[in-house]
This record gives sequence, C-alpha cells and structure tokens, in this order.
Amino acid sequence: MRKVALAGNPNVGKSVIFNALTGAKQKVGNWPGVTVEKKEGVCRYMDVEFQVVDLPGIYSFTASTIDEKIARDYIINEKPDVVVNVVDASNIERNLYLTLQLLEMEANVVICLNKMDLAETKGYKINVKNLSKELKLPIVPTIAIKNIGIDELKRAVYFAMKSKSKIYLKYNDKIEKIIYTIQEKIIKQNILPDYPSRFVAIKLLEGDEEIFKLTNLSREVIERWIS
Amino acid sequence: MDFLDEIVGARYELIDKIVSKSVEKKLKQKTVSDLIDTVVLDKYLGIPIFLTLMWAVFRFAFDVSQCFSDAIASLFSIASNWAKLNIPCKVLASLVGDGVFGGLGFILVYLPPIIFVFVALGILEDTGYLPRAAFVMDRAMTKIGLHGKSFIPMLLGFGCNVPAILATRTIKGDVDRKISIIINPLMSCSARLPVYVLFAGVFFAGYEGAVIVSMYILGIVLAAIMATIVRRAFFSEELSPFLMEMPDFSMPSMRSVLSGAWLRTQIFLKKAATILFAGAMVMWYLTHFPWSATAGGKLIGNSYAALIGHVVEPLIRPLGLNWKAGVALLSGFMAKELVVGTFGLLYSGNVCAGIRHDFNPVTALAMMAITLIYLPCLGTVGVLKSELGEWKWVGFVVLYELVLAYVVAGLIVCFGRVM
Repeated sequence: MRKVALAGNPNVGKSVIFNALTGAKQKVGNWPGVTVEKKEGVCRYMDVEFQVVDLPGIYSFTASTIDEKIARDYIINEKPDVVVNVVDASNIERNLYLTLQLLEMEANVVICLNKMDLAETKGYKINVKNLSKELKLPIVPTIAIKNIGIDELKRAVYFAMKSKSKIYLKYNDKIEKIIYTIQEKIIKQNILPDYPSRFVAIKLLEGDEEIFKLTNLSREVIERWIS
Repeated sequence: MDFLDEIVGARYELIDKIVSKSVEKKLKQKTVSDLIDTVVLDKYLGIPIFLTLMWAVFRFAFDVSQCFSDAIASLFSIASNWAKLNIPCKVLASLVGDGVFGGLGFILVYLPPIIFVFVALGILEDTGYLPRAAFVMDRAMTKIGLHGKSFIPMLLGFGCNVPAILATRTIKGDVDRKISIIINPLMSCSARLPVYVLFAGVFFAGYEGAVIVSMYILGIVLAAIMATIVRRAFFSEELSPFLMEMPDFSMPSMRSVLSGAWLRTQIFLKKAATILFAGAMVMWYLTHFPWSATAGGKLIGNSYAALIGHVVEPLIRPLGLNWKAGVALLSGFMAKELVVGTFGLLYSGNVCAGIRHDFNPVTALAMMAITLIYLPCLGTVGVLKSELGEWKWVGFVVLYELVLAYVVAGLIVCFGRVM
C-alpha cells in the first residue's frame, strides 16, 4: 500500500487532520525501540487506499530530540510516497522552516494550510496561489476542526502520488556554492548513497553528529573540502 | 567552522522572500489575549496571580467536594457495618467490611476532590493559562539561580507522573531530558492529594487550600533545586536556550474540560478496581492477621503490619511519626492512594480521631511532605526504568527522594519545635 506521512510543528492541528483523513480505521502502537506513540490509519480516495502515518510534532529535523529523530528516520528510510506537511496559517514563517527541511530531504510534499480562519482573525491575508507558486508545491487551505478542505486535501494527495516530483528551493548563492561543493564530493565518493545527497551535505555543514557518525567523516574533512 | 548559523539564516531569508510575496499582514490592534498576557506574565504580578489561582483551584476542589466525600464516607460506613453484621463467616465479614469498604472505600472518599481538581486544572489548561504558569515559575526559578526549565512540561501533568515522564520526550537534548525525568517524581500527582486533604482537613480547618497549595509549591521548588544539583554534579553542561509556545487565551469549552476530567477519572477508577483493590486486600491481611492474635482485627498492635511497622519505626521516630505512619508509607510504594487506604484500616472506622491522636499540626505537615517526596510509586519506577534506561539512575532517584524526604520532614519538625 502507498504510504503517506503527516509532518508538522506541534499544535498545528495535525491529529485533527489525521482523524479526518483516516476516520475510524486507526491503529496505535509504538515507534520501534522507544515509548513514543505511533498512530497509523488508512485513508481512501477514489480507487486507492493509502496508509497514513502520523509523525511526532516537531520544529526541525536536527535529530536532537527523540521526536525529531523518529520523524527524520521515517522520511529518509521509509521514503513515504507523499508527505503532508500541516502548516499553521496563523504562524506561517516558523512553520515553513520545517517545510524547507522536508524539501531538503527530497520528500514529495503537499502542504495542508490549516487554521485559515485563525490566520484571518489575526489579520493575515494569504494569497495561496502565489504561495504555491513560490514554494513550487501544491497547497490545500483547510479548517480542520470544521472539516473544511479535507476532501480537497485527499485529492491533492491522490494526484501528488501519481506525479512524484523532486523539488528543491535554492538558498542564497554563497551557501548554495558551499552546499554544491560538499554534494559533489559525497556523490563522487559514493557516501550514503541511499540518502539524498543535498540533505547529507547540508547536515554535514550544520555539524549534525548523527550524520558524522553515519558517514565516518569529521569536521576537519569538511573544512578541507570547502577550502 | 560551523555553517549552522548560515544555513538557518539562509532558510529564513528564503522564507521571508516567499512570505513577502504571498502574505499580507494587516496591522491589528492588540487582541484580548495579548492584554491578558501583559497582566498574568507581569514581572511582579505573575507569581501572586499564579499562587492565587492555584489556591483557588484547591479551595474550590475542597469545598465543593466535601459534601460528596461525606456522603461516600457514610455510605461505606453503613455498608461496612452491614457486612460485618450480616456475613456469618467472621473472616469474610472482616474482609468485606474492613478490607473492601473500610480500606478501599476510604480511598474512594477522596475521589470527589480528585475529580474537582481535574476539572479546575482542566479549565486552567483549556484557557491556555498553564503554559503561562510554567513560564512565570521558570522565570522566578532562574532568577534565584535554579534551572526551572526542566519542569515546564511537568506542570502540565499534575495528574500523574507516568504520562508526565513520557511527555519529556519533547525536550531537546539528552541531558535536559534526563534531568526532567529525574526530578519529575517531585511533582505532586493526584494520588498524593488524598493524604493532603485528609491531614489538612483534620489539622488546618479553614486553611486547607493554602496548605495543599504549599505542598505543590514545595514540590516545584524542590524539583528546581534538585535539577540544579543534578546538573552541576553529573553533567556540567550549560543550559541550552529554549523557546516556549504560548497558545492564545480562549474560553474553556465545558465539553473538553469535562471529557478530560472524565477520562482521568476513568483511569483512576480502573486503578481502584485493580492495583488499589489488590493493595487494600494485602493491607487488610497484614493488619488483621494472625487472626487469633489480633482478635479479628481488634488488636492491630499484634498484627503482621505492626511487626513490619515496628521495624521501620526507629527510622521515623525522630520525625515524630509512629509505626502506623510507617506502615501507611510502606504501602504507598504500590500506589500512593494506599496511604490513606491503610490509615482507613489502621484506625478502622474512626480515622480522623485516630489521626488527631497520633499526629499534631507539625507532624501532619511532615507526613504530607514525606508523602510528596519519599518514593516514586511502582508505576513511576517502571516508566523511570524505560525512559532512563539504566537501573543506576532509577536507584539514584529512589535514593535522593528518600534522603530529601527525610531532610525536609526533619526541617519541618525542627522548625515546628522552635516555634
């Protein structure tokens, strides 16, 4: 069965979306090796059924909390067909930080722009079309607690599943040049071939201990590569 | 070399660019929520408001629940007498009358205050006040050089330490998480509440709310002290900065408050039917056997419980506590509700009078403080092991709690003598 993962910050209405997508067909278990709850369910749209996994609510993919590590490992290793990124429309800047990192991981992202009503009362006017164009991602505005936009979300997931695309957004030139240098070395030396090379490069630059361990590289080596 | 800052900066730079092209922000005046925040998060008003609200919670729970508790108490007392008169087999009559209705029943007397605390805390949680309370307390702790950070997720879990410890997984950094887990048992859970209610009701009539709140605050302060000690002693790692999210204030929805309280009550009832029932049976056996020596529970001084109690008595004698308190505290290891359940058995039928005889206001406070601190219950030990990983750390928690309980109770008694 096709796999869909739900990712997003804490308190964005992720579990409401999860319930709306999966209805009564849910199963609660634990992530392997830890006591963190794992919720799975099945969602049906038209002729397909897909498995929906609720990832823990996180702000970032640095692997410094158990939750972050779980979410990161799932996306990297299980490679879900679609990642639904639930974004709080009333707090869009902070939420998009996670979105960018999902794209670094080459996830096939559909954005669920939730809490549209709250965004409005807070005085935000969001041009969804422009936002979608800028991010190069499909965006579905929703108000999950009122069950608004759920069918549209299912449809967007359905179509995203059929046309997988790798999107990447460029950062500023200076940092892109450095990322590219590292990426080239990684590809040439066949380091972590199962991981997205751009993701590995960025994590090495961030000084991510976990990736250092996996690659057997050190800060000194990275430094040498750059200079 | 570290490009972390540059990469984070680059991400936000891009986000800024994207958002500026697609999101317009109309200037809005301050929301009501912001206005409330300027008051409840105020530098000087923050703490008094927090204390007042907590006091109101317990005062409310105590006052409103009293009539329900009295009703339950008389109901069980009637049931107990009926069972003892009408069941022909003496042992069975005592088992039902003393063990079930007297022991377990005496725990259930405290169900109403527990429920009302759940409701009141649920209202505070639903309005969005609890994270603010955590923030205000943290600020105060940091100011006096203590690391309050670690108990922030726990303030949200006054209900029970087990889910609160599981909630620490959202804490960044292994060290911070470990410290949070280690100090968590000091947060006063609902199972300790019956002890507070019982003793505050007998010795501090009229001031129950204040006395009960002081126990919760004591727990928080001790947690901050322990967090600081543990960090300095074992980890020598600097505090990492952290962000806290404050949801907007909102009107509490009665439905979610009540359903939350009901869920927690169900958990309590399930516990009552299983571990508390079993615990009450064990304590009934220990307080009524050997059957002939105790004359069917009339001479509790000859029971196994007394035998065990006298072993620990020398330890707690300096604190002004006798063997009955010792037995009650030992039973609390299974589940802290059993402390009052055991008192129900030891002072069969007349707990208030018995307590008034064996304790005074000072030793009552010491007893409450010990109940707060002395040991994590069995369920908490289990989750401590699963979350901390090593028995060594679990042992450390048990040890520091025992020592701390003794020290704090000792200070209370010394102070009481001077006064």
